[in-house]
Amino acid sequence: MAILSTSHARRVAHHSVVWISGVTLAAFAVVPLLWGVSTSFKREADVYGFPPKWIPSPATLTNYLSVVRDPALVHEFVNTLIIAGTTTAIALVISILGGYGFSRYRFRGRDTLLWTVLLTQLFPRVVVIVPYFVILRNVQLINTYQGLVMVYLMVVFPVAIWMIKGFFDNLPKEIEEAAEMDGCSLLRILWSIIIPMSRPALAAVTMYSFILAYNEFLFALVFTNGLGKRPLSVGLAFFIDDTGVNWGELMAASLLMSLPAIVVFSLAQKLLVRGLSEGAVKG
Amino acid sequence: MTSAVDNSVALAPPKRRRVPVRRRIVPYVLIMPGMLLLAAMMVYPLIQTVVFSFAKVQLPTFRTSFIGLKNFTQIFGSDNLQPMLGRTLFWIVGTVVLRFILGFWAALTFNATVKGTIVLRILCILPWTVPSIASANLWRWLLQSDTGLIDQTLKVLGLPHLALNWLADPRTAMPVVMVAYSWAGFPFIMLLLLAGMQGIPKESYEAAKVDGANWWQLFRHITIPSLRGVIIVAILLEIISALNSFDMLYVLTTGGPGNSSQILSQFIYQTGFTSFNLGGASALSTLLLVVAFGIFLLYAVLNSRSTQREGRS
Repeated sequence: MAILSTSHARRVAHHSVVWISGVTLAAFAVVPLLWGVSTSFKREADVYGFPPKWIPSPATLTNYLSVVRDPALVHEFVNTLIIAGTTTAIALVISILGGYGFSRYRFRGRDTLLWTVLLTQLFPRVVVIVPYFVILRNVQLINTYQGLVMVYLMVVFPVAIWMIKGFFDNLPKEIEEAAEMDGCSLLRILWSIIIPMSRPALAAVTMYSFILAYNEFLFALVFTNGLGKRPLSVGLAFFIDDTGVNWGELMAASLLMSLPAIVVFSLAQKLLVRGLSEGAVKG
Repeated sequence: MTSAVDNSVALAPPKRRRVPVRRRIVPYVLIMPGMLLLAAMMVYPLIQTVVFSFAKVQLPTFRTSFIGLKNFTQIFGSDNLQPMLGRTLFWIVGTVVLRFILGFWAALTFNATVKGTIVLRILCILPWTVPSIASANLWRWLLQSDTGLIDQTLKVLGLPHLALNWLADPRTAMPVVMVAYSWAGFPFIMLLLLAGMQGIPKESYEAAKVDGANWWQLFRHITIPSLRGVIIVAILLEIISALNSFDMLYVLTTGGPGNSSQILSQFIYQTGFTSFNLGGASALSTLLLVVAFGIFLLYAVLNSRSTQREGRS
């Protein structure tokens, strides 16, 4: 009995330690977000109120409405969709072909090339910013969608090809071999066997690639000027009007921008962590 | 591999291999688009960076003229370089350590699988999912002098003397950005470590417990050694991402006040695109490239050692 109750007491103590520690961490994680949410529903007059109030009263949707109706923000959002969408589509095609090549064939230079791809993913991006600028200038693609897509391909493609190769490695080869014997062409095999079999993984890579391009800031900052072609990330860094920063609107806009990213990462979390870490751990 | 073998396969009823020549070309065709992209957008630019670092790039024509080591002597001669490199090192060490403390703490907490904590775990992942510019804006608002949540809360608690102008004070600017940056990144470490911890067999813990090991001994002699590979990868990824970090620093402080939160990546940007000294920016980039390469070599050495120790290939 004595042993039982001490072990029970221990369990309770252990559980409460875990709970306290978890709650502390979760509070640290969500306070900045919750405060942003709270501010985004406040009237401009209440934003600076002291003492700080967590529940806005009255709550208002004004900030969200003016953000959605702001022509500049809408324009930047459309820019982001065009740039990130095009980048993702091209990167996906390149990565499916390349990933299949790396996964199914052994050829001279394979390992070297594969590692080169990984290394480029790990190199600090700032390093290539000057040559990118000069290249884009020379082909006159500064401040264009095409220019940013070109640059973003390099951001997205190394991760995408590694993840896709990893997923293809885990697919059974037998079906392809049977199809090949029946005289199926390679493109046919890819299109009607490989792609349907790896649909969830490809969906994850697609979403991740999209979000990578969606979130990118540095290249967009340097390679665009003015409102014309700049994406939302740059827009939100310069979201200041003549009266200074309107915090309610800035929080509403930032949260709206975060929403797709939060959804994607939460849905594909396991696949992403596996894909990202496997790429770095295994050859 | 030899053609003799391939021929015999081709003569025999077709098994799995098709015409060998074709099979040899196919993979190159498949990887061609990716490799062209890699050559055009990575290999060539990296070479360009090194070339530009020995050149003066004239604007607006972009004509380059070779000037030898002048860019480098200029950089290394500047009084700003040493403190800037010091700040960069401080930034890297500080953010990696902070992210690891938070990530490890979270992984240990949520690996305990206590009922109900799954909700807390999901909440802890949120910061990682928020775009960097959005996180920067959230923290910019929290850290506002006087009107931000942090200063207001300090005043409510009766500690108005602690309510600082965090982002405009050279003593606090960099540390608070480090906290914000670690907030955004710790969940990734947590997820990596959690994935690693789930791979540790429960039996090894139970056996050690029977032998009377306490939690610290379990942690020190089972958890850490089993996670060695994951930890090394995570440190590598984090160092690179710290070297690369730009967004949060740009939005929160733009390297200021003065230069107090300026690190190498910021400095490259400013040299190249505020002062329009493209040669100088390239020289700094080359320096960063060398540093990054050094880190890879270190990783390769550590990695081969740890795989040797574990006795797998």
